[in-house]
Parts: sequence; C-alpha cells; structure tokens
Amino acid sequence: MAPKPNTTVPDYKNVPHSHRLPTTHREVRRTFSKLSRQSLVSLALQWLAKKNRDFCRPYLLGDRDADEEEDDEQYTPAQSYEELQEIYKELAARKGGKREIQDRILEGDWRAGVSMYQLATAEIQYLLDHPNSLRWTAKRLARIPNAKNVSLDMEVTNDSEHLPRFQAQTFMANLARELTPLMKAHYLLIKIKTMPMTILRVYIHDSPYSTEASLAVDNGSSDSARAVFFIWPNGSPFIYSSIANHFGQVISDDGRHLRDIVQQAIPKAFSRPSVRYQLASTNFTTKSLDALLAYRGPGKSNAASGGWSIFQDHNFSQNALDFITSHKDEGQEKNGTRKDGTAGAAKAGPGRPKRTLEGNETSEAKRRREVAAGRFGSSAQPNDGQGLERVEVRIDDAFPPMPNPLEQADDVDTSNISEQSANRSRRGRPSLLDRSLDEIEELEGGDAWVPDVRVVFQGSHVFAGVRQLVEQGVVDGEKMPGWMTGEAGVTIGAVKEGRIRTKSGQIPGV
Amino acid sequence: MATAEALDDEINDLRDRIATVQAHRANLTSILLSQPHFPTRLEQRPVLHERDRRNAVKLVQKQSNRNLENIYRACAGVTAYKVKDPDPCAVDNGNILGVRIEVPINGIFVETYHVLFNRPNATHRTMLRIHKHTIPPCIPLQPLANKWLPVTKKSAEEPREQDLVKFSRHLRKELVSWHLRLEALEKLRKDARLPDRTAPQDGSKVETEIEMVLNAFVSDDEDSEVEDEATQQQQDGALKILRVDGDAAVREITITWSNGRVGIFRVTKDGEVDKVAVRTKEGTRDASLSSKALGRIEGLVERLEA
Repeated sequence: MAPKPNTTVPDYKNVPHSHRLPTTHREVRRTFSKLSRQSLVSLALQWLAKKNRDFCRPYLLGDRDADEEEDDEQYTPAQSYEELQEIYKELAARKGGKREIQDRILEGDWRAGVSMYQLATAEIQYLLDHPNSLRWTAKRLARIPNAKNVSLDMEVTNDSEHLPRFQAQTFMANLARELTPLMKAHYLLIKIKTMPMTILRVYIHDSPYSTEASLAVDNGSSDSARAVFFIWPNGSPFIYSSIANHFGQVISDDGRHLRDIVQQAIPKAFSRPSVRYQLASTNFTTKSLDALLAYRGPGKSNAASGGWSIFQDHNFSQNALDFITSHKDEGQEKNGTRKDGTAGAAKAGPGRPKRTLEGNETSEAKRRREVAAGRFGSSAQPNDGQGLERVEVRIDDAFPPMPNPLEQADDVDTSNISEQSANRSRRGRPSLLDRSLDEIEELEGGDAWVPDVRVVFQGSHVFAGVRQLVEQGVVDGEKMPGWMTGEAGVTIGAVKEGRIRTKSGQIPGV
Repeated sequence: MATAEALDDEINDLRDRIATVQAHRANLTSILLSQPHFPTRLEQRPVLHERDRRNAVKLVQKQSNRNLENIYRACAGVTAYKVKDPDPCAVDNGNILGVRIEVPINGIFVETYHVLFNRPNATHRTMLRIHKHTIPPCIPLQPLANKWLPVTKKSAEEPREQDLVKFSRHLRKELVSWHLRLEALEKLRKDARLPDRTAPQDGSKVETEIEMVLNAFVSDDEDSEVEDEATQQQQDGALKILRVDGDAAVREITITWSNGRVGIFRVTKDGEVDKVAVRTKEGTRDASLSSKALGRIEGLVERLEA
C-alpha cells in the first residue's frame, strides 16, 4: 500500500494511476453498475495481470492487520494474486448474475479502494462495449502554415511528413505541461487491439492537491462530468472528442469548459518547434464510433461515402488480373447504372417491355430499388452500424421568384420547419449554422431574397432512412440532391445550388 | 446425431465441389470467349435463333472489353476512365474523370485506389479539382494536389501549371511505397518470429481489448522495486524481440525487446532506416545498436540480432 503523505500541499503532479478512490465514490458506483458480467470478469483478470498489478492492488490476506476484526467479512481475502486469478477464471466459466461479480470486486477484493487506473479502464471497457454511448465531435489537426517558408510546407519529398507525429511519451509530457497549472488530472492513454485507434481519457480532478484523500472528496457539483475522452484513429489527422456523461445526463457548462481546456491543450501537445497545429472543425458529430471511423477514419472511405462507396470495395474495381466476366453479373449491373448516367434510368428503359408482364407495381418498385442502389451504392444499409443520428443543413439558395410548386424540396422543408424552430427556442445557444457576418454581407449584396431555411434529419440512421424513402418512392431518387445520400460526409453544413459548400482548394476527407 | 453430422459434412463437401466446379466453368467460359477468331466463327456458323447469336456476340464483346481494360490496367498501373455523377446538382453536368491506381506487390495486385476529378470552373474548362477519392489519409494527397493541380485562390500569384500525369505518377509512387513498407513491416515481424497479427489469437472471443497502455510511465516511483523484480524475471530468459510496431504510414517502427530495451526507427518513404534511437530500460542510449540499424528496412531485425 502506498504510504499516505502526512501533509497536503498543492503541488504540480498528475494524479498517478495507483491512487485509489473509495468504493463508495459515486463515479465508481456508477461506472461499475453499468458494466456487464463478462466485462467485469475480463477487467478483473486484466487488473490481476502481472504488468498491471502496480496500479490495481487488490486486498490480499497479507494486507490485513493482525488485530483486525474478521466477523462481518463477506469475502475472505485471497492469499495471492494467483489465487485471485483462479477465482475469477472460475467465475468467468460459470453462469450467474453480474451483481455477484460487482459486489465481489467492490466489497471483496478491492474493498480498500478502486484505483484511478481501474476506474479508467472500466470506463473505457464500457465505451468499447457500447460504441454508441457517447456523442463524438470529429476535429482535424491542421498545420498552421508557416509564414516564412510556405513552399517548404508543401513539398513532398522522400522523408517529408504531412501528418502530426505521435509519440506517447512526448505527447503526455507536453499535455501535462499545458494542463497541470490549470487542473490536476489523471491520464490514461491506451491503444486498442481490434480498432485502429488510440484512446486518451482525462479524469479531471478539480483541486489543487493530487493526494488520495483529496480524490475521495466529492465536491458538491453532482452532475458535472469529470472525464473526457479523446480518440485518434491511427494514421489520420483526426481527433474525436467527447465528454463522458452518463445516460441522458445534460452536460453542464462546467464539463464543457473543462473539456475545452483539455481540447485546447491537445494541438499544443502535438506541436513541435516550427511545426504548429491547431484544431479545425470538420462539421461532423455523431454517436457511432463506427461511423466516425468510416467518415473520418484512417481508411479509404473518408472521401468516398454515399454512392461513391462502390469505389472503396472491389465491387467496381475488380482485380486487374481477374478476367472472368460470367458469374459477376450483379456487380456488372451496378457499374452499368453508374456508367449509363442518371441513376439507372437508362438501364431500366430497354428492360421495361419484358417487365410489364410482371405487373406495373413490382417493376416500378424494382426500378426505384435500382435507382437507390445507383445513388447510395453499398452505403446506407440499415444495419451497417454507421448511422448518423442528426444531419442539419441550411439552404442558401435564393427563394424561387414565383410560387412554384416544386414538389420535392418544398415538401421536405415545410415538414421540418416547426420542429426546427421549436428546437432553436429550446436550445438557446447559437447554432453552428447561424450565418456568419461575411455570409450575411454576401447575401445582402445580391437582390434575391434568401430566407434562413434549415432542414434537420433525425433518426437512428438518417441516410438509411433516406434510402428507404427512395425505395418506397416518397423521395424521387433521380432528382434528389447529392447531399441527401450522405456523400458530402458532414452532419452539418450549408447547401447552395444543391451542393454542400466547401472551402475551395480543400480536398475532402484528408 | 452422428448421421446428421455426416450428412452436414457431406452437404458442405458438395457445396465446396459446386463452388470449385463453378469457378472452373467461369474460367473456361472466359477462355472460350477470349479465343481470337471466336467472333468471326460466330458470324459464319448457322444458328437456330438469331437472338442467340446476338447474345453470344454481346458476351464476346464484354469479355474482350474486359481483357483490354485489364491489360491496360495491369501494364500501365495508372489508368483513367469516365463516370457520371448521378447527383442532378453536380457541377459540369456530373462529368467525372476517374484515375485508377493499381498497387502490385509480389506479383499480385493488392489494392486499387481511385481519385475522381470534376471541372468546377466554367471558364477554365481544363482545370480539374479532386471531387472524391479513396486515398487513405496517411498519403499526402493535399500537398501533392497543391503542387500539381492549380489552386483557385485569389492570392495565388501566378497560376501554377496543372499536370495530371505528374500528379498521378507521384501519387502512385506514394501508394506503392506505402504498401511496400507495410509488406516490409510484416516481413520484420516474421523475421522476429512474432505471431501473425491477423491470425486469431486465443482471446478472439473477446471483441475489443486494450492492447497497450501507453502512459504506464506516469505511475509513481514508489512501486519501482516491484517493477524491477518483474523485469528481472524477464531478463533471465534469452533476449528476444517482444513487439514490432509500426505507425499507419510505416514511417516509424518501434521494436521492444524482452529486457525493456526500446528502439525507435525512422523510415524514409523508400524504405531506408535513416534515424534511430535505442534506449535501454535505464534510459541510456545504445549507440552501437543504433548505428547497426541504419540501412535498408528489410534486414533490420537480422542486423539487430547479429
């Protein structure tokens, strides 16, 4: 057991992994009650592994003082780590409630307290078990252009680098240097085996002390989220940030503020002399980690979403040495629709006389399905796990001069206006979509009237929903603008002339 | 029960055979359709229905198109094609120029990448802009585009010359060298006799697992004695490489030895190890090992173990 310091002096240290929280602490209770039995057992086994033992001391028989009472002991302390490992292996093998494990951990083997390391790993385990439990905002580390030698920045040479280099030690030292004057915090930085990403969890300890005793004190602000998560997918310039809030809990301004402090420190920690970074918004927020990895991840899918997803897989690009044409008719047809032009319209044309025999209804449905396949490709499947919950756009086109019954666009707009205005009054905070001064000026220069029309799509998987609407014939798949297929890869944006506005010169998805 | 299992086995067996035979048939079909004088013979032979002949000619045409396309793709490495953007609001009526880049490694094509261009500028019709692409972010696409594709900025002093060929050539070089580095890293793992990363390990039933804690060093110094004990045990065994890790772009390789020694090797794009830092557990630099490591990436493990 760590010797308790006798004095509490404000210091400049981080909260170490091995500091313990009492098991009655609210954060501990809350985190442990959320985890499943299987996760709890696997966590306990991880903590007992040799390399982690320093951070997760269980209560062993040797820790007990000789004169201590033994009567009301529910769990007898184990003799050794090996014995404990055996116990948990046994528990893993047999069935039972999760309460049994939870109690054993909190009241038995770790009755003396749960270390910061344990709490952090438990929360990360929960995050991995439930990848949709938090709301993430994707940011990009953008290089601040060097005013002196612009040309050097752009050069691609044999040993040039365009991504920020990540070194765990240097990064942690830099981050701690930025943050320790402002707050005490516990950091856990880990790599995940099955997903290509690194997770940083910062537990914010709002106190000048970094002792165990100060950790245990529950400061009155009951709802404030104390942990912040950051994820960076390996080999990409993106960073996802999130506040670890509990189910449906409103994030207080305090939590937001603390996250902002940490967030501001991150690009500084990545920077090196003469290579400075800043965080740039990527207009992307979602709850699904899988969607984040698909739209802002390390792979091929970033700038080829929506209908362009056919370019990612081998659906469109068969191997250059694959000469077989016969049994790939399905894939060929998809390519055909894309090549033939407007979403399979030409394709359906010649085939139509044959299909009249099957009845008008089915051929129409089939045509719509083909149109949807042409527009959405292999994306926007209801169960692909890459659902976006909310997509918000502002229409920046001038109001049509005549009351023109534009069947499609108007339908969508009116149905959402009420919801949207209700939304604004509820929120109170300025939306990211509010026009900037420049944009207002630009609009006033023209003589057309441009109302502030916003469209919000909400649901478990917005673009799968749009695809279904196309398949049902509610939305005309051929006249639908491209941003409705999700190919713009943003969850918030301004639409002008049917396209999401982007910065000129900026390549999507890098 | 045994009979049911036997039946299942038999069914699976049959399925496998059907798959093999079908693949064989597809292969034979494409060989037949690729026969040089096949179309002429089709024309000359009498057929029962004219429609069959038309179908056959169509199939032959499709096969020869595919053959031609594949030959170009395999030989040129970078090929261009045209597609149509289905978006009714797309610029330039949705005309898209696609550039396809093949990556050959060890005699097979491992991956195909696409860059799709549109022409946003109505006055300068030849100016291309990257519309969509499937290039991973660890490839410097933006700098390459800045250099070889004109920037439509007002501040740009003189419009830079657009060179699609040079752009594609450089992009292909980046992509192929990246795949070669990935391959070399795999080879290093094999050299170090590490288990294959892709092979399912015993923990495969656990979906996501914490692989490595990167800031374990933040732990308090109080526990250092215990730590030393643990590593002492490891030191008793023969010195071996525990991990060979690379970042996504394989520009940096980290090798961890069983005695706590860690080496970080920086790799240039063409696979040369140009900067090395090897530290022992105590934090002192190992200069001799560092100088040994310099050179090609391929023999890195052998050089270190020699």
